[in-house]
Amino acid sequence: MAYLLQRLLTEAAAAHPQRPAVASSGCLLTYQELDQLSNKVARALLRMGVAPGDRVGILAPKSVAAIAGMYGVLKTGACYVPLDPKAPAQRLSYVVQDCCANVIVTDEATIPQAVALVRTAPEPRAVVAVANSAGSEGGGDVNIAVAQGAVILPWAAVATESAKPLVDDRATETDLAYILYTSGSTGTPKGVMISHLNSLTFAEWAAAAAGLSEEDRVCSPAPLHFDLSVFDIFSTCRAAACLAVLPEGVATFPVSIARWLESERVSVWYSVPSVLTLLACYGGLRQLDLSRLRTVIFAGEVFPPKHLARLMEQLPHARYLNWYGPTETNVCTAFEVPADWTDASPAPIGQACANAEVFAVTSEGRRVTQPGETGELYVRGPSLMRGYWGQPAKTREVLVQNPFQPEYDEIVYRTGDLVSLDPAGNFNYVGRRDSMVKVRGYRVELGEVEAALYRHPAIREAAVLPVPDDLLGSRLRAVVIADDSGKLVRQSVLDHCRQWLPSYMVPDVLEFREALPRTSTGKVDRVGLASE
Amino acid sequence: MKTVINDYISSELVRDTELLPLADDTSLLDSGILDSLSLLQLVVFLEERFGITVGDADLLPENFASVNTICAYLRAREPEKQAAHG
Repeated sequence: MAYLLQRLLTEAAAAHPQRPAVASSGCLLTYQELDQLSNKVARALLRMGVAPGDRVGILAPKSVAAIAGMYGVLKTGACYVPLDPKAPAQRLSYVVQDCCANVIVTDEATIPQAVALVRTAPEPRAVVAVANSAGSEGGGDVNIAVAQGAVILPWAAVATESAKPLVDDRATETDLAYILYTSGSTGTPKGVMISHLNSLTFAEWAAAAAGLSEEDRVCSPAPLHFDLSVFDIFSTCRAAACLAVLPEGVATFPVSIARWLESERVSVWYSVPSVLTLLACYGGLRQLDLSRLRTVIFAGEVFPPKHLARLMEQLPHARYLNWYGPTETNVCTAFEVPADWTDASPAPIGQACANAEVFAVTSEGRRVTQPGETGELYVRGPSLMRGYWGQPAKTREVLVQNPFQPEYDEIVYRTGDLVSLDPAGNFNYVGRRDSMVKVRGYRVELGEVEAALYRHPAIREAAVLPVPDDLLGSRLRAVVIADDSGKLVRQSVLDHCRQWLPSYMVPDVLEFREALPRTSTGKVDRVGLASE
Repeated sequence: MKTVINDYISSELVRDTELLPLADDTSLLDSGILDSLSLLQLVVFLEERFGITVGDADLLPENFASVNTICAYLRAREPEKQAAHG
């Protein structure tokens, strides 16, 4: 039997048909309902001509529609590409063109945005709308509209498809399951290609590592285009547990999140540390009964130790797991923070998880073996991405021959992360080899922000620098040289950035200068700028 | 007070310029102006500008729904501030 992601759903639906699969804004979907809903989506997609290997966009917030859409796409043998409805239109359009996503699955509320977006695809074909509830049979307009070559398939039409399972697998484990677009240093996002095998390797390990069972209620506030959401979507399904979707309105206020965790009886939480810092500092956790929250997992950036300590003090009964891994590797190392953790330094990223090997290589090319030594982290194993979509040269820079395997071809991933080994055999995160920074756990290539600034007609030069921030990881400081200084205003530059960049990549601080400081070799003096 | 708060939100927190000029009764939550991190930026500003401390229990949607409700919240805090000084 093929090793495919959608099997997590069909197996959960067969073993636990009546158990809750997704709880989202008052709507509860069982595994059987989710499985049947995704069958309908798959059949509608096949009718629209979707074939194995195609890329299908998913333009929706985390919701029943999005999750049924993801499984529906997988069941056709195609791969899905999460598209953040909040991202700027130009960036989404770039992604749709880059991977030729000619069909977009969306929810009923997002149809107009999806139609506008699909029209920018190379060969616009269809927008397929999915309802955000199980029982709804549409009932509304089943008319299929055609707008400038793209078919708009309303939910009422999708609902008429058969809910029976599709017979063929239509894919193998090495085929792509999804593409996650992440910040690219050359100014455009790059698509990380993840196969069924890559994702299942993580999803199955993670379900076991978190000890998930069908009794659990799992939540991650991470949006679909962020790889943290692979856990709450697929690992939860692996365990036939319930995925609890944090409503958007609730996510703003730490107290609201905390109360929601209590009322929804969430048992496993997975997020970037900054959200947990907010909960620890402003969540009012002591007034609540969060005894059901048994496991707290964080990843994506360093958790400031004082805030981690504060959280552990308020929720002493929970397990705390620090997971590490770039999108390209899924998660590759893990560390369980002991209950008596009082260290003033950040928690280690730990040791390799199952089915992965990690090792660090010093700048002289030697393997790190002694405590205290620092090197770049390399990763080996079946969780490694297939490569960057349409960028074989860029892929070869990071997926390289294992320097310690002279006998046969073996690919390892160079993370670009510098780590040191501690006496207990754990790796500790030290920093980056290049100019990538983390803002709210998101990867930001400073070069991509600079490239966006350079697209402004009045900007002659620009340099973007990270400013360390306790809460955000980093803030972004942009130093800008205008062609006709005095005329360029802050608002114009920020508006321009917002057209091209997601909000977490828009600079927080903007400085106008006459010139950028240079080093003796003529390069921008980033060290000098940063120390000002 | 309203102008000070409106100016700060307009210049520092509004990311979609179609929302400008910002009305004092515009919902800061529905419009997406406030998210968990911009909310904290605002709290730090209010604490520094008006010399108050915003506790966990005050960090609620009803207090931060709009410029108007923020002002009402700050006014309600006035007596305790004076008491503290007196």
